[in-house]
Amino acid sequence: MPKFVLMLPHARDRYENLPEAEFMDLMKDYIGWVEEMSANGKYVGGEKLLADSGKVVTNKSGSIEVHDGPFAETAEILGGFMVIDAGDYDEAVNIARSHPHMKHNETIIIRQTDPAADD
Amino acid sequence: MTNTAAIHQLLDETVRRERGWLISSLVARLGPAQVDLAQDVAQDAIEKALSTWPYKGIPDNPRAWLRRVAGNAAIDRIRRSARELGLEDDWQLTAPDQDIITPSLQDPELDLMVLCCDPQLAPQDQLILALKTVCGFTAAETGALLFITDDALSQRLARAKRHLRNNSEELARYPTRFALKDRLSLILRIIYLLFSWGYLPRRGNNLIREDLCREAIRLSEGLMARMTETVPGHHALHALMLFQSARAPARFGETGDLITLEHQDRGLWHQEVMGDAFAQLGAAQSSAVLTRYHFEAGIASIHARAANWNETDWVSISRLYELLSAQAPSPAITINWAVALMMHGQLDRADALLTEINHGNNVQAMTGWHLARHRLAEARGDTASAKATLECARTCMNSDPVADHIDGLLEPLTDSA
Repeated sequence: MPKFVLMLPHARDRYENLPEAEFMDLMKDYIGWVEEMSANGKYVGGEKLLADSGKVVTNKSGSIEVHDGPFAETAEILGGFMVIDAGDYDEAVNIARSHPHMKHNETIIIRQTDPAADD
Repeated sequence: MTNTAAIHQLLDETVRRERGWLISSLVARLGPAQVDLAQDVAQDAIEKALSTWPYKGIPDNPRAWLRRVAGNAAIDRIRRSARELGLEDDWQLTAPDQDIITPSLQDPELDLMVLCCDPQLAPQDQLILALKTVCGFTAAETGALLFITDDALSQRLARAKRHLRNNSEELARYPTRFALKDRLSLILRIIYLLFSWGYLPRRGNNLIREDLCREAIRLSEGLMARMTETVPGHHALHALMLFQSARAPARFGETGDLITLEHQDRGLWHQEVMGDAFAQLGAAQSSAVLTRYHFEAGIASIHARAANWNETDWVSISRLYELLSAQAPSPAITINWAVALMMHGQLDRADALLTEINHGNNVQAMTGWHLARHRLAEARGDTASAKATLECARTCMNSDPVADHIDGLLEPLTDSA
């Protein structure tokens, strides 16, 4: 089955100064969704990303250079990503509609992985 | 119960139980001076869980996960400040035989609870300390439970922690087993508050926080098992909690809406738990002193015996509320007393009680006060006041089902206007 990556951006200050009880309620929605997707065999995996600056490794000038990334400065950050199984973009979009991220944040970016890469 | 509801409940229970266990265990290992550090480390672990589990799902053993993460964080923090904390460089969270606090109750949460209930602290300070550390309540929840402001709460908490820090060595050596009997009445009060908060939470979409109710009953049972002689009120409190738990299955409608005692299907009450409650109430009769729990359990037992709301022995209930109010005056008790009076036609007396507590108490913030005034207005056929009181009740801090219940009462009044 084709795989789709759901990228979950949110405002940098989204979870700052949120009362713990409220944060817990939000996260319960997310955890509940992931558990349900896993139970349905649709969830492949995911990673939460740290909100640090990140690194950029470049070979533009002919030798490898390492820079701090710009990600600590941006107003919006990529909170993390999830990989799901879906038949096609339509199904992936429908799954994204049910995602608590659509209730608690604004945007989900969906990209399909190239099935040729799956053995 | 839906799968999602089960997951929410699992998270609530895990987080609360583990927060209490982590803090208690860390304090047992590090000493009473380190309550702040223990709380920070437990808090960090819980935040890590809540922010990574959305991507990874709940680990197979969430408790072990939290303990491992908090343990590692504690070791990390302690290595960095071992000298200030007066600990060895190779300190480990495990190895309970090296506990600093004399372990005597075989349960770190009960040990810490006894430690918090230090008579050298004002009773209110003991309560706040225990609720914040052992029971895992947030500052907002603790404040709402005890009807005090945030500022007053943080002052009292700071004072209590200072006391623990300044008397750390002496407190740590004091075996909790010997202190238990003298401190039990305050510990019972903590258990009572824990249960009450679980029975009627003010926030969120769960009407009953069953995890809190179960935890309160578990602690009470644990104490009973460890006491060689019972203390007045313990059986009565246990009876009270069992009576309330037995009624829990009838408190929700199919859509999760609130069903008040008046409209409950009494056939849904848990008969076995009811039986245990009556047994505990029987054991409570031998007590030489009558505590507030005796009166409250007595009131619950009258409701348990009644066939329905109207055929309840309201005269006895009013009398028990009067006794309870004399011993433990509180706005919440007066409100219930007033409702009982209304049920046997004493409207003026009920009115006088409700008016009286409007002076000097923050009853305007209490849903129950407005709802009692609503009942009074209905009994007198005063539709305008009935509507106004409901609108006031709606502005209070309510859990979603309670808010829905009030909306349900408001709807017909709004249509006819």
